[in-house]
Amino acid sequence: MSITRRGILAVPALAALPAMAEAAAPVRIGCIEPLTGNAGSAGQSIKQGITLVLDIINTPHPDLAPLPLAATSGLPRLGGAKVEVIWADNQGSPAVGQSDALRLITQDHVVALCGAYQSSITLTASAVAERYGIPFVAGESVAANLTQRGYKWFFRTTPYGPDFGKLYLDFLAYVAATGLAVGKIAIVHENTDYGTSVAGSITEAAKARGRTIAQTISYNANGTDVSPQVLALKNGKPDVVIFVSYTSDSILYMKTFHTLGYRPPIVIGDDSGFSDPAFPKAVGNLAQGALNRSAFVPGKPDSITYKINALFKQETGRDLDDTTARAMQGFFVLCDAINRAGATAPDAIRAALAATDLPASRLMTGYKGVKFDSSGQNTLAYSLVIQLQGAAYVPVWPLAEATAKLALPFKGWT
Amino acid sequence: MRASLRRVLIAIAILLAIAPVLTQDAFYQRIAALVVLAAISASAWNVIGGYAGQVSFGHSVYFGIGGYAALLAFTKLGLPPIAGAPLGILASFVLSAIVGLPSFRLRGHYFSMATIAIAALAGLLVTNWGYAGGAIGLMGPATPRSPADLLFRSPLPYYAIFLVVLAILLVLTWWMERSRMGFYLRAIGSGERAAASLGVPIRRYKLYALFISGAFTALAGSLYAVMIGFIDPDSGFGILVSVNMVVMAALGGAGTLFGPLVGAIILVPLEETTNALLGGGGTGAAYVAYGVIIMLIARFSPGGLAQFLPRIAARKSPRAA
Repeated sequence: MSITRRGILAVPALAALPAMAEAAAPVRIGCIEPLTGNAGSAGQSIKQGITLVLDIINTPHPDLAPLPLAATSGLPRLGGAKVEVIWADNQGSPAVGQSDALRLITQDHVVALCGAYQSSITLTASAVAERYGIPFVAGESVAANLTQRGYKWFFRTTPYGPDFGKLYLDFLAYVAATGLAVGKIAIVHENTDYGTSVAGSITEAAKARGRTIAQTISYNANGTDVSPQVLALKNGKPDVVIFVSYTSDSILYMKTFHTLGYRPPIVIGDDSGFSDPAFPKAVGNLAQGALNRSAFVPGKPDSITYKINALFKQETGRDLDDTTARAMQGFFVLCDAINRAGATAPDAIRAALAATDLPASRLMTGYKGVKFDSSGQNTLAYSLVIQLQGAAYVPVWPLAEATAKLALPFKGWT
Repeated sequence: MRASLRRVLIAIAILLAIAPVLTQDAFYQRIAALVVLAAISASAWNVIGGYAGQVSFGHSVYFGIGGYAALLAFTKLGLPPIAGAPLGILASFVLSAIVGLPSFRLRGHYFSMATIAIAALAGLLVTNWGYAGGAIGLMGPATPRSPADLLFRSPLPYYAIFLVVLAILLVLTWWMERSRMGFYLRAIGSGERAAASLGVPIRRYKLYALFISGAFTALAGSLYAVMIGFIDPDSGFGILVSVNMVVMAALGGAGTLFGPLVGAIILVPLEETTNALLGGGGTGAAYVAYGVIIMLIARFSPGGLAQFLPRIAARKSPRAA
């Protein structure tokens, strides 16, 4: 029954597009994301984001024209072939992610893989892709070691740990030039994978510039009291506090700052918890002036980013977040490469990926472009510094991208 | 009756040996390898948890030690990961002695609780142990430097290696089942005080059982790390690692030779294929199936399938008895 109905619908569609009458076979891409488990909400959001990208690629969106493949339908250089995603749930387990990769490659015959959110799972899943010679594009995993393995088939579009360290230090150098003290930096990080690795990257970046981190505080994100940590900060009197935290703990820190009446001069939150929509909702009135990083800002109403954000909001009812945007960007880059390859042979796609050279104007994220070095890392990946002013974050640095003026020191509450 | 049951089990064993060769599909070959790997750790758990009735929910501690030993040997000494397996086994003996002596004073639920606490503690220690990668974990060789690194594109070599280890473990268990030790352990399992009153050296034999059980679980951990190429506190010491061993053994039949293998043959493909079939759609369906199975076993066949199947067979041919 359903087949007949679909058949009837297909006839006028084919008639309307005679050029695509003999539509090419769809191009299959495998996406491995945490659709269940601890990171399930992030994975589901990425799924919604990539589904939106699929729609942008597979149906004409002339208003988003600067983005690769937006104006046309499907992949023009593959006879208008549609892109199809096969989803796999990594369940937050490195072993499951590896099974996923193998299944997608050997059973679903995907031409490329993307994912896998958690760096540990990207690590194991991409090892399978490497052995089978299938391109793997990581749009969201930031652990430094992923691109240090000498892999031939691995590409990463997102900025990673060292980039963030560099961003914060560049930004602080700018702040120092305006006359504020930034000499004493404290890092407060949650003690699992994410917090430890990013804190390490920031410390490394500081070392590379001959600076030291005055105070490093590691804590358990599931704790219910952070006053010891806040008191330690209060005693240490740092000029800058950088948080690498998840949601509930970042909220707890802002509340504890208020309770103990402590305002560090500069507060930077590294994405994650500070970027969760729950954060401004819960403590927006206590965290005024908190800084954050993001590779995505909606921008002005006529910009591509604004339109994409509107489309996403229409589907999901919320604004596009940094992680989802980075995953979508990775997917765009992969599809653009497949189109340029004009074929689905892994070698052709790999060569096209390696030759990728997208300018900033054709991206939906704030990267300066996409161009891979020999390790597969995007050398032009970049993030913006954003600041919580009122109910939302606004970009404040670099100045070229800023829509609001940087307001320091950290105000917190009134 | 018992002879026919044995024939069925032998048939399963043979099927298991040839299954991956019959299918040319790498994904199913991988499932077969994962079945055997899970069967190794569940069968190892079975020695202490099944035969001796000391239900440990902390066996992940051995699994984690084995996994970390393998990848520490690689990252710190530059050896092939499998070279760390003997170190892991050695460490498991030491741990068994340290942990076994005090915790064997506890009985029933209290013993189980102590084992959970030990595994949780070990997980925390490793999370904060920077030398072993801390929360980030350890990575295996990215590309094979020599065949000894055991990095294969096809899952078949892993399957073969795992099968050899499983066969050794099962033969050892089979031998133990028939030896004095097997009788002692079963006596301990069905009533410690009664066994003691009959002169069974309880603590010594529990400790022997823990040595065997821990060593093979550690070996399973090393093999896991070799195949997956990554270990972190969660995949090594997580509570789910322990629970999987217990559930597989319980489903197939704890305290029986092939029980854990049967459990693995049912549960591993169930988990892998539901994930494959439902993909992003039916998130968590495998866990629902898991839960239902556990409830059904607990209600209708607390002794596992090993107890359930003969019962059905007996009902079908009531006059045969």
